[in-house]
Amino acid sequence: MHGRVKVKSTAQQEEEKRKEREKKLKIYTAARDACFSKRKDGVCDEEALHLTQQLLSSNPDFATLWNYRREILMHQETVKDESEVQKMYQNELSFLESCLKVNPKSYGSWHHRSWVSERAPQMDWARELSLCDRCLSLDDRNFHCWDYRRIVVKKSAVPVGKELEFTDRLIGSNFSNYSSWHYRSTLLPLLHPQSPESAPPSGSSPPSPQTHSHRVCEEQLLKEYELVQNAFFTDPNDQSAWFYYRWLLGRAEREEMISCVFISRDEERVAVAFSRPVQAQSGGLLLVLDGQPLQVDWRSIHPRFKHSPVWICDLPPGSINNIANEHNLTVHWPEKHTRRDCALYTGRNESWCRDSATDQELFRSELSVEKSSVLQSELQSCNQLLELEPLNKWCLLTIILLMRALDPLGYEKETLAHFQTLKEVDSMRSAYYSDLCSKFMIENTILKMEYAEVRVFSVSNKNLTTLCHLDQLLLITHINLSSNQLRHISFHFSMLQCLKVLEAENNCIENLEGVYCLPKLEEVLLKNNNIATLAALRPLATCPKLRLLDLRGNPVTQSADAESHLAELLPSVACLLL
Amino acid sequence: MGSLNYIQGETGTQVKDVFISPDAPHTLLLDKHADYIAAYGSKKDDYEYTLSEYLRMSGIYWGLTVMDLMSQLPRMNRQEIVDFITACQHECGGVGASIGHDPHLLYTLSAVQILCLYDSVDALDVDKIVEYVKGLQQADGSFAGDKWGEIDTRFSFCAVATLSLLGKMDAIDVDKAVEFVLSCMNFDGGFGCRPGSESHAGQIYCCTGFLSLTGQLHQLNADLLGWWLCERQLPSGGLNGRPEKLPDVCYSWWVLASLRIIGKIHWIDKDKLRSFILACQDEETGGFADRPGDMVDPFHTLFGIAGLSLLGDEKIKAVNPVLCMPEDVLQKLGLKPELLS
Repeated sequence: MHGRVKVKSTAQQEEEKRKEREKKLKIYTAARDACFSKRKDGVCDEEALHLTQQLLSSNPDFATLWNYRREILMHQETVKDESEVQKMYQNELSFLESCLKVNPKSYGSWHHRSWVSERAPQMDWARELSLCDRCLSLDDRNFHCWDYRRIVVKKSAVPVGKELEFTDRLIGSNFSNYSSWHYRSTLLPLLHPQSPESAPPSGSSPPSPQTHSHRVCEEQLLKEYELVQNAFFTDPNDQSAWFYYRWLLGRAEREEMISCVFISRDEERVAVAFSRPVQAQSGGLLLVLDGQPLQVDWRSIHPRFKHSPVWICDLPPGSINNIANEHNLTVHWPEKHTRRDCALYTGRNESWCRDSATDQELFRSELSVEKSSVLQSELQSCNQLLELEPLNKWCLLTIILLMRALDPLGYEKETLAHFQTLKEVDSMRSAYYSDLCSKFMIENTILKMEYAEVRVFSVSNKNLTTLCHLDQLLLITHINLSSNQLRHISFHFSMLQCLKVLEAENNCIENLEGVYCLPKLEEVLLKNNNIATLAALRPLATCPKLRLLDLRGNPVTQSADAESHLAELLPSVACLLL
Repeated sequence: MGSLNYIQGETGTQVKDVFISPDAPHTLLLDKHADYIAAYGSKKDDYEYTLSEYLRMSGIYWGLTVMDLMSQLPRMNRQEIVDFITACQHECGGVGASIGHDPHLLYTLSAVQILCLYDSVDALDVDKIVEYVKGLQQADGSFAGDKWGEIDTRFSFCAVATLSLLGKMDAIDVDKAVEFVLSCMNFDGGFGCRPGSESHAGQIYCCTGFLSLTGQLHQLNADLLGWWLCERQLPSGGLNGRPEKLPDVCYSWWVLASLRIIGKIHWIDKDKLRSFILACQDEETGGFADRPGDMVDPFHTLFGIAGLSLLGDEKIKAVNPVLCMPEDVLQKLGLKPELLS
């Protein structure tokens, strides 16, 4: 029951109401019992239609009665001639129309209407479409009606272009119509696909505006920018247009591919990173070493992950340990028809083969270079709007996104300032903005690291509240997370398979779940954090080479026997700072 | 009196929201709520009660779950309820909302949930339920709610929730079921009833819950979806189910549980939401309404209490965000649905 206001009433009013309800109850139960007993006796006559109609017009959610009605109608089909059947279903449609007038949001009525539309000998689809138009003109957000409309459109083969015009009309009369913007997002990729060649291979993942976000051709994309801009200049606080705009600015999901292969002589181990989380065991990942297929057991980086972007396997002992030998490794992923080769040369302890984030322009717009001038002018427009509405959160966030699409490093300083304003004007969502800002700072650091071609990742003093993109950091040996606001080192951290040194001083870290089975990890610096229990340190025991642990300034050091317990838990640690 | 009104947004645009009066309740009235629910089922001759017969099984699930979350389950008449459920199972295996009502996935799930609270699943013919659920899966992986063929992602959730409570997930084609649900994902990262349908917080709860139970949460765009979900919070602190809609206590469950499942519950202002939920209590009768000042009902009472549990209220038992049942019940069943961290 929604939106029923509670009204105070006197004892006398109460008593009158009680009597009235008692009377209604008698009528109602009598009709219900009559329906049930008729149905039990298998009666499918006009009277039963009448009885169910009486009940359903006031209680359209009584699903069993719709079912009974359908049984009656199906029976009547067998005893009536075609014109009578047509008449019967036409009556049914008018009855439904009156039900929908009273209760336009009843699942039962709408489903029955689509059932009738399947059974009726002839359907006047144009009439159905105009019924939807009328219903949407009363409530342009009624999702039941929108869904029925989609059925009608499909049945009567209304061209996609016509439906897009329909959304033009609705949006034109009221920009604040999320349902219409949503509908556009499903129509545009159908009407203006990016290009015929880039259509997804049949049998691949199911189509949706998410996976196909940018299967909209560039030209149409630019027209859409203009339409949305009209919307948010008209009403800068209407979220519908801003949500749609963010989708337009977004990127298509990356194709599933092998992004990195790493091989290490010391551990006799191979690690493979993918562009998305995968299940390598069932996906039949194959490993070929020097032309010979090897039987290996793939495992995800943490037992918690059934799907993971990084998978590892141990090679048979002795297969690559002689440093004088050169080896050629290929990883095949038959499911996605993709492979990657990696050569381990004589005298080298490790080797890798990968696409870098800078090569792939991972964190930028995918508009062609000549069109990025359009993004530049979009940014100018938003900046104009911001001058008029300096505290508009939608505008601020969009400017940040445009800046990132254009030049994430060049705009870093302005981005940070805008984030600061956002957290102030929309404080309810400040944690969201902090996490998003952290993500962008990590992306920028990845870009800087790759331009510098180093394996050191330093994001200290950036107000980080969360870690992400760790699958991009498979090869790094040093990470510096000091002086941030991190509370956890989450499971994903175990993707850092080459890590030797973890610096995370001056955070508020409570647990270290992700510092798990890191084969090369030697130093963990956790001075001034919130580690309170020995249990929180237990994951460290899975890192065999750990020799230095700095826990100064953590509550766990307060307990008298911390040192002896830690020595027991972490026997490899030679230098323990408490 | 009527609490609905339009409050001015910061820059003059009208934002749909409600106003919470300063004298609205701000402490949790657990005893009153338990009395309200305990009394609710005793008004069987009431007109309103009779009108809601078509959803009775879910009504009982709402009432019993909220009683269990408040540690008051022993006040309910266990034997009467278990016998009632047995009487509602049909030959085909499905369970109806009440005696004389047709079987449906919605009520089959509610019946199984209730029996899990009572540790008495054997009161139903479990093999037949499994056959019933299996029989409703369509070639495209979707589920019909019953033999009349209505398709909805809600029913995909009902199917996998029922089967996981019974430990029989392998009875259906899980890959196909996942494929269908993913085909309902939208430009905003949310989900609707069917492919092409607009995102709605209730459907998002069903679909994230479905992906949790099937171990497929990595298929979500958690950042995008989490943003849409946290934008459901209005200045009053309450959550709505879609953009430009009024706040409602049931969305403190659907939005909040979805955020918990995708590991982003910290993206909303918990204190403000708590105040909104508390303001929806009725100090006289007990129970929660959809909005401050409206009539209470068991549905909003469960989702109010369950929402407060997700917000960490220690006077309420911990609730599982995927199945909306007490965690201790699921622990006994050995069920631990996947959550993103």
